[in-house]
Amino acid sequence: MAYILQQLLQRSAARYPEKLAVWARGTSITYSELESRSNQLAHLLQQHGVRKGDRVGIFFPKCVESVIVMLGIVKAGGVYVPLDPQAPPDRIGYIIGNCGIRVLITRSEKRRLLDEATLTSLAFSIVIDETKEHSNGSRVLPWSMLQQYPGTHAPQVTLTETDLAYILYTSGSTGRPKGVMISHQNALTFIEWCAAEFQVTSEDRLSNHAPLHFDLSVFDVYNTLEAGASLYMVTEDLALFPTRLASFMETQGITIWYSVPSALTLLLLHANLQAEKLQRLRIILFAGEVFAMKYLQQLATLLPHVELYNLYGPTETNVCTYYKVDRALLPGMEKLPIGIACENFEVFAVNDQNEIVTETGGTGELYVRGPGVTNGYWADTEKTRKMVVPNVFQKNFEEKMYRTGDLVQLAADGNYFFMGRRDSMIKSRGYRIELGEIESALLSHPAVKEAVAIAVPDDTVGSRIKAVVASHSGENLVSAELQKYCGTKIPMYMIPETIEFRIELPKTSTGKVDRVLLTQESTPQPALQ
Amino acid sequence: MSTNTAQPVVKDQIREFILENLALPKGIESFTDEESLMETGVIDSLGIFRLVAFLEENMGVRVSDDEINPDNLKNLNTIEALVLQKRKK
Repeated sequence: MAYILQQLLQRSAARYPEKLAVWARGTSITYSELESRSNQLAHLLQQHGVRKGDRVGIFFPKCVESVIVMLGIVKAGGVYVPLDPQAPPDRIGYIIGNCGIRVLITRSEKRRLLDEATLTSLAFSIVIDETKEHSNGSRVLPWSMLQQYPGTHAPQVTLTETDLAYILYTSGSTGRPKGVMISHQNALTFIEWCAAEFQVTSEDRLSNHAPLHFDLSVFDVYNTLEAGASLYMVTEDLALFPTRLASFMETQGITIWYSVPSALTLLLLHANLQAEKLQRLRIILFAGEVFAMKYLQQLATLLPHVELYNLYGPTETNVCTYYKVDRALLPGMEKLPIGIACENFEVFAVNDQNEIVTETGGTGELYVRGPGVTNGYWADTEKTRKMVVPNVFQKNFEEKMYRTGDLVQLAADGNYFFMGRRDSMIKSRGYRIELGEIESALLSHPAVKEAVAIAVPDDTVGSRIKAVVASHSGENLVSAELQKYCGTKIPMYMIPETIEFRIELPKTSTGKVDRVLLTQESTPQPALQ
Repeated sequence: MSTNTAQPVVKDQIREFILENLALPKGIESFTDEESLMETGVIDSLGIFRLVAFLEENMGVRVSDDEINPDNLKNLNTIEALVLQKRKK
């Protein structure tokens, strides 16, 4: 059994040295190349001062180098932090500061976007599209420098499974993103379950649709390496165009596909998917948001030979429950369960009386325990204490459990159903979004007096975001200006699609903004039958 | 040679639609005729279909799923070319 992620690569590289490991943008590398390039990078990082536990940022669009870099960083004992290549520089700068990234691996056009203060805070950057070495003492190292380091072995570093492997930043309710710390053990608990459940083999070809700062990509990358399979990365030029994406699935002979449901919906609606062209496809996994039943039905009918799985889990647990779609039951189903716990995870619902829900139909907040659960948030002990709490149901020793904030209902067959959130976090296109973070961005504009962000349910993307804003008297605000301002604070997928202006926002009897009323007013009512 | 006044109108209408519906809501204020709308993030996976719906409803052309590709929808110039070429047929 592997106890640190790089062992997955090491073993497959020894077994399948000449096999294609990663393909992206028409370029590919073999297992032996991936092993030796990541060894070289690990040596370079170590010789330039990276030590065990140091955070190293990854800030460039997906390509084969992405996987080299992830593995190179953990081989140096470092912790990688994948940064959204499309996020505004302000947010990237915040994350770099928040988790103390001193080394950044990037592309020249991405590096140029960062402000002076952020650049000064870095010890050095490695620029993957640079080939020329700068003068001595330069803090920009070209990718070509890797050649100077040995590829035959990784540098010596002592790691245990409880050391951190990576940190994923997700939307935070206080207006700033928060870093979920994932250890090697957290990741491997999930990866090993996937390997057994989906029987991934060296013959498999996995797609990687999700961005690398999104936890869906953990399965794609590491279950490929675990099995000695091949990874085919979906880059923006493919992801945006359903017919291109479908032909990519066909020509690359993808056998296991994993994405958010909205990507599958677009394929269904616009790509003319044909079962006979996707004969090699054997499993479709989806996660990140609720799959509209009508589209899932269509998919199940269209691809009768493909096994479909609904995976559920917040970034803090990666995935903790799963449901294998039963085609016989599908026509009568109104809602898809999130299922039962994955192996080596335990989940239970806790009701308002602080008791574990055991009766059919009972609802409560879902809690998760086991080695797959995060230790908490980087440099945020307060948030960690709130979410990663002592397991009061464990009487024999001290341990932690994670409270998901998701309300679930227990069905007669033991499956759980997702019922909603306890707070104002929503999902849009699989992205986890705290409405509070959007509201903070809006409220930071000097002309804004009050602001509420609302999720309007949508079959295709989960939710669309709308904002209702009241400005200070005399201030004449327009949507476009406010949206542009938000673009400097939050990622594009979080910017409200529509903004409604009011003189004042409605209040509840206690004087708080009436969020419920505003949400009702913004939600389309279902047509009467 | 006759001057064709229809062409600038087509391009202006498309520009206006993209600006108001796809760019400004993402905080992007302007883009050039040649700039890749995908690389700048103006067009995302859903924006593409809003754009296609606009072309079909307001420009009087029918765009097939196969034609929804990066060659046709790369930038304002290529989108205009697609509309004009489809109108000729």
